[in-house]
Amino acid sequence: MVAFIVRRMWQALLVIIVMSMLVFYGVFVIGNPIDVLISPDATQEIRQQIITQYGLDLPIWQQYLHFMNALIHGDLGRSFVYNMPVVELIASRFPATMELATMAILLASAIGIPLGIYAGYRPNGWPSKAIMAASILGFSVPTFWIGLMMIMVFAVELGVLPAGGRGEAVSIFGIPWSFPTATGLQHLILPAANLSLFKMSMMIRLAASGTREIMLTDTIKFARAAGIDEFTILRRHVLRLISIPLVTVFGLELGSTIAFAVVTETIFSWPGLGKLIIDSITSLDRPVMIAYLMMVSLLFITINLAVDLAYAVLDPRMRQGDGK
Amino acid sequence: MTDPVLKVTDLYTHFETQTGTVKAVDGISFHLNRGEVLGLVGESGSGKSITGFSIIGLIDRPGQIKGGSIKLEGRELVGLAEDGLRHIRGREISMVFQDPMMTLNPVLTVFEQMAMALRAHENVSNTEARARCIQALRQVRIIDPQQKIDFYPHQFSGGMRQRVAIAIALLHRPKVIIADEPTTALDVSVQAEILVEVKSLVAELGISLIWISHDLATVASISNRIAVMRYGKIVETGPAAEVLGAPAHPYTQMLLNALPSRSRPGQLLATQESHKPGGESKTAGWIEQKSPNFVSVKHVVKKFERATGLWSRIGVKLNLMQPPKAVLAVNDVSFTIAQGEALGLVGESGSGKSTLGRIVCGIYHPTQGEIKLDGASVVSACQRGRKLTTKVQMIFQDPFASLDPRRTIGQSIAEGPIAHKLTTRANARDYVARWLEAVSLDRAMADRYPHQFSGGQRQRIAIARALAMRPDVIVCDEPVASLDVSIQAQILNLLLTLRSEFGLTLLFISHDLGVVRHLCDRIAVMYRGQIVEVGSAESIFEAPKQPYTKMLVDAIPKLISKRPALQDA
Repeated sequence: MVAFIVRRMWQALLVIIVMSMLVFYGVFVIGNPIDVLISPDATQEIRQQIITQYGLDLPIWQQYLHFMNALIHGDLGRSFVYNMPVVELIASRFPATMELATMAILLASAIGIPLGIYAGYRPNGWPSKAIMAASILGFSVPTFWIGLMMIMVFAVELGVLPAGGRGEAVSIFGIPWSFPTATGLQHLILPAANLSLFKMSMMIRLAASGTREIMLTDTIKFARAAGIDEFTILRRHVLRLISIPLVTVFGLELGSTIAFAVVTETIFSWPGLGKLIIDSITSLDRPVMIAYLMMVSLLFITINLAVDLAYAVLDPRMRQGDGK
Repeated sequence: MTDPVLKVTDLYTHFETQTGTVKAVDGISFHLNRGEVLGLVGESGSGKSITGFSIIGLIDRPGQIKGGSIKLEGRELVGLAEDGLRHIRGREISMVFQDPMMTLNPVLTVFEQMAMALRAHENVSNTEARARCIQALRQVRIIDPQQKIDFYPHQFSGGMRQRVAIAIALLHRPKVIIADEPTTALDVSVQAEILVEVKSLVAELGISLIWISHDLATVASISNRIAVMRYGKIVETGPAAEVLGAPAHPYTQMLLNALPSRSRPGQLLATQESHKPGGESKTAGWIEQKSPNFVSVKHVVKKFERATGLWSRIGVKLNLMQPPKAVLAVNDVSFTIAQGEALGLVGESGSGKSTLGRIVCGIYHPTQGEIKLDGASVVSACQRGRKLTTKVQMIFQDPFASLDPRRTIGQSIAEGPIAHKLTTRANARDYVARWLEAVSLDRAMADRYPHQFSGGQRQRIAIARALAMRPDVIVCDEPVASLDVSIQAQILNLLLTLRSEFGLTLLFISHDLGVVRHLCDRIAVMYRGQIVEVGSAESIFEAPKQPYTKMLVDAIPKLISKRPALQDA
């Protein structure tokens, strides 16, 4: 097991380094941030001074080495636009996105998995057909449109929920969270529901197809022959057996939700990372872009590692034979 | 004797499908006495498993019990609501299935699964459940049950897993246990152990048992009475010795005569087809054996190693990691087969016999050693050697898996010969027809797809495909293992006939010693990657030298009585 984790760490480091090169080069190609940074009527002298100050006159590989050197010392640079350390900037926005994404994924699992198991258990009943049809809608109708409809219905017509923004936040361990407060939860519910729809459809379909397949196996026949009731069979046998593909999707989706909740965050003016990255791209805020993308790759690697470890917990067959 | 514990009268179980009604169980009646073992025998599709599922009330849709009655100690089970049936399942009637690998849940510990079955009918505390489960495991002779109870199914061997399944079936001391092919997936030696244990458990606990199997010999060794099923009906029933000793129904006679162990080695087996004139008791002529070292296998070793990546190789160098363990599948094996000879390769699962077969055929490259056919190497010398000859062909256990489902069998048969210029695309049809006829199939069948054939026909196709390559040697890897006895007899007859007709040399791999003895001149016994004994078929059976061989031979379930007529035939 230790050898497995060590190997994965090596791989992660390699991925991060390659990723940093690609990102650095990619962002370099997009354009010169200097045009955004200083007003067009600045003198050539001031312009030159600022270019030198940021090291933008150096060849790209030197800039990259400078960047990596700073990175090793824990410094990701300062935002050109906000003029504050990038780490602080991301840290200030991260809880909001984290909260939104986690809520969305939990909603998707808590509703999607039971619905999916039901649909797989009774595939021919009309409720199952309705669930499966709805899940196709959830896949295919664009998120932004559903988001707008939700605002129309719940915020404009019924007026029961706020249309956007984040509610009151309380500080837990120095990090501002909004979900424990009433207004915070009110603000959270619509964007989280909106963000969870696609994932919920995915969970439903995965759980349904897994359940259908497993219900036909001898394991279930044997359990039934032992007189075990259907609910216990679903809860103890089926849920455990379908959990591996579900955990995979859960992990992948958690990553992508945190990283790319942009659309939902924009519609509901949620002050999260998505808005930050869009702003930094339009203003060519190079340090923010690089730091953000590196953070995202680190996030994916961490989640994937966690998913792999979860496999070992869920499936005893994978526990043996590790560490070879 | 008191009333029977289970009484089935006029049971009909039908499956309504779009293409019509399948009468899986078509009006059967039988009873099961207390403490009795009833063997239910039949070939695939005879409805024997459906009978078992009907009794326990687990017929999958679209199946339905159409009529009749199933009475457990006088209580009617047919028409009982699902909830009522559930209370009977596991507590009064329980069931054991064929493959313990499939029936136990791989992600739950044995204890979790046993406790679930226990709590299906009883409210027990955790400590009590544990004690009861350990007790149940001890009862089926699982050593060290205190520890084993927290194991996962994959940590047990096949036989142990089946014991666990039996322990679960016994938890509530049911009155009736239905065992559906419980030893079919196991090795002979393990099967023998399970048979002995089940017998003593039945005697000890006074349980009544229905033993469903396709294998007459195992049924014979365990049952008091036997019922023979065919096409959803019971054709014959009676005390085991009577049914097997003096079968009244022609179908039972046919089943018995199809067993290789009941006829002289090399003789054609009785099949339904063999009633044709000239088919009866014809002995396939032996071919003259030339060139004793026609196939020679010298010091062959096959290691399976996990591919190592750069990092793990560095890890091993730095002593951070263990080097990956290599599996030694074949460990220094040497043997020869004479031209025209049939060598049987027997061994239990995991003994390396299939790997060795594939090496001889040139599918696997040996790690060390050489294989020569008529003096020429079968594979080229380099590390990733290529097969050099088309003179060795192979037939696999599962013909359905080895035939491309999207091509007609004509295309599948013609593919190899065309690639090797044995025929041309233009002549392929005639060429294929010739080989189809050689295996007694109609030439018009060339345009059909594999799924349109039965298992036995598919195995004929696989043989035709191997023959079409004009081989000198055919490696048969368990070619009859998945077939019914009567079909098995047909295929064995075909192999016997073809062997003399085309002068084939055979390497016949099987776990079934009866089949091997019937077909082969010499037998090699494999155990853990090595050949422990080689000898003429007769000497292996009559005077095995190695203890392992002796154990294997002793483990074969035998029919109680042999008809004397056969012995001097």
